[in-house]
Amino acid sequence: MTGYAVGATEVADTFAEAFPMRFARVVITAATEAWALEAARSMTGFATSVIGCKCEAAIERSVMSAETPDGRPGIAVLLFAMDREGVGKRVVERVGQSVMTCPTSACFDGLPGAEGTVALGGTLRYFGDGFQASKVIAGQRFWRIPVMEGEFLVCESVGVGRGVGGGNLVIGAGDEDVALAAAQAAADAMRGDGIALPFPGGIVRSGSKVGALTSKSMPASTNHQMAPTLRAQVSDTLVPDGVGAVFEVVIDGVSEDAVREAMRRGLHAAAGAGATHVSAANFGGKLGRFHFPLSELRDPP
Amino acid sequence: MTLTLTLRAQPPARVDVSALIPERLVGLHESAVGALDLRCGGETVGVGDLFEVSGAGVEDEELVFAGDLRRFDRIGAGMSSGGIEVRGDVGAWAGAEMSGGVLRIFGDAGARLGAAYPGARVGMTGGEIVVTGDAGEEAGAGMRRGLVAVGGRTRGGAGLRMLAGTVIALGGIGAEAGLGNRRGSLVSGRPVEPLPAYAFAARFQPLALRLQLLRARSLGLAVGDALVSGMWARWSGDRTELSRGEILIFDDEGSRE
Repeated sequence: MTGYAVGATEVADTFAEAFPMRFARVVITAATEAWALEAARSMTGFATSVIGCKCEAAIERSVMSAETPDGRPGIAVLLFAMDREGVGKRVVERVGQSVMTCPTSACFDGLPGAEGTVALGGTLRYFGDGFQASKVIAGQRFWRIPVMEGEFLVCESVGVGRGVGGGNLVIGAGDEDVALAAAQAAADAMRGDGIALPFPGGIVRSGSKVGALTSKSMPASTNHQMAPTLRAQVSDTLVPDGVGAVFEVVIDGVSEDAVREAMRRGLHAAAGAGATHVSAANFGGKLGRFHFPLSELRDPP
Repeated sequence: MTLTLTLRAQPPARVDVSALIPERLVGLHESAVGALDLRCGGETVGVGDLFEVSGAGVEDEELVFAGDLRRFDRIGAGMSSGGIEVRGDVGAWAGAEMSGGVLRIFGDAGARLGAAYPGARVGMTGGEIVVTGDAGEEAGAGMRRGLVAVGGRTRGGAGLRMLAGTVIALGGIGAEAGLGNRRGSLVSGRPVEPLPAYAFAARFQPLALRLQLLRARSLGLAVGDALVSGMWARWSGDRTELSRGEILIFDDEGSRE
């Protein structure tokens, strides 16, 4: 099987395999964008992979003051988990520990009208130890939780939507510098509305395979087929000739379309930034409901 | 087309217009609305005799009253959904015991705006009332939930025995506001001396109030930026009740409007 070329970049004839996930979007506001960003970074820390972190979360975008409910600068955060219950637990933990604690912050639902909701302020309010108060504003309930600074304002609940987790691009080049620059260009191009790149800088250097060769209990282990240093050591290497470093960009999105279009942007950005090979990770197509063939991404965005 | 009731002439006595709320008028055309009866003093008069009726009751559209309606009481009283816009002053008990919907009055309101009826413990249980002018005595009395936002002043006794909810008077709440208040919020855009049953807590920027002021602005109230982003003094009370209520008084040194 052969793929196609975008400029000097070879694109493999394969597909990314992704899974249905549930997600919430919270909008964190603060007195300054810098403080909103602090809260958002803290909330999305250690949320790279649902296997190890119980959720995947990332900053989606900055929200202008004119667009936020309280007219202050804001940051939209997307948080993905495998089911609604998981989203509910993680969002309460993370808003409670990372947003409520952050100076001047407030937290709003960024997914009004979603089909389902999970409690947020409705649970966090108990931190107020009986001194909390609620206000229904424009039909939506908020909780005022007294804190040492003043009050933490948080919405009663947040919407939960059906999203897609695990879209990806695997980007390789002759040496690490070029491969990383191409992966960074891809990640930068992929970020946007409805997209979360949960790994550091959006990039994973330690892509994994399901299970392990040496252990039955490990859920995941290194993707030895894509490790360039093992090329001469393993019989099933998938590292193309001439590739010295490989990075993966993992994408969670609010819809199949959002993921596909982000992959399209990423693929063409990586090609423009010197990637020699672009591929994608899958599990043979048996595990994930969503398949994103790279052949569908040939047309530039 | 929006259902609009324009006052023809002043009635001979006070008129109870509580029957004219959006939820009861959906699907009615102007002739059917004009044929409805209202109490006018001890008499009954037709809506069509008092108002020029145009349009029809349509869901999700505001019902509009126009004219000097100071002799018309209970506009929007008991409404649970929909919207009413009044272009003129209104009488007493506007929005009394409302449970939902939006009542916007571009003028002054009389006494007992959004209040409980005499003897009733609970007044408004939801919905929003915006008054661009002043409001009379005991606005928001007995309120349990909802928002009353007044661009001007409220007269004495605002928030009397309120259980919860919010009464905002950008031009200042009158004397003896918040007597018997349990968990409600009274908001004064001008300096005011709270009752002795209230105690000063702190100056801060109440974000919930910010949202409410922005909401009131979106409903047509002129709310200055200084109020939205400024500092407010929180007084807690009524200490003869739970002491969980509050009076918020605009207290932005140097930028007072």
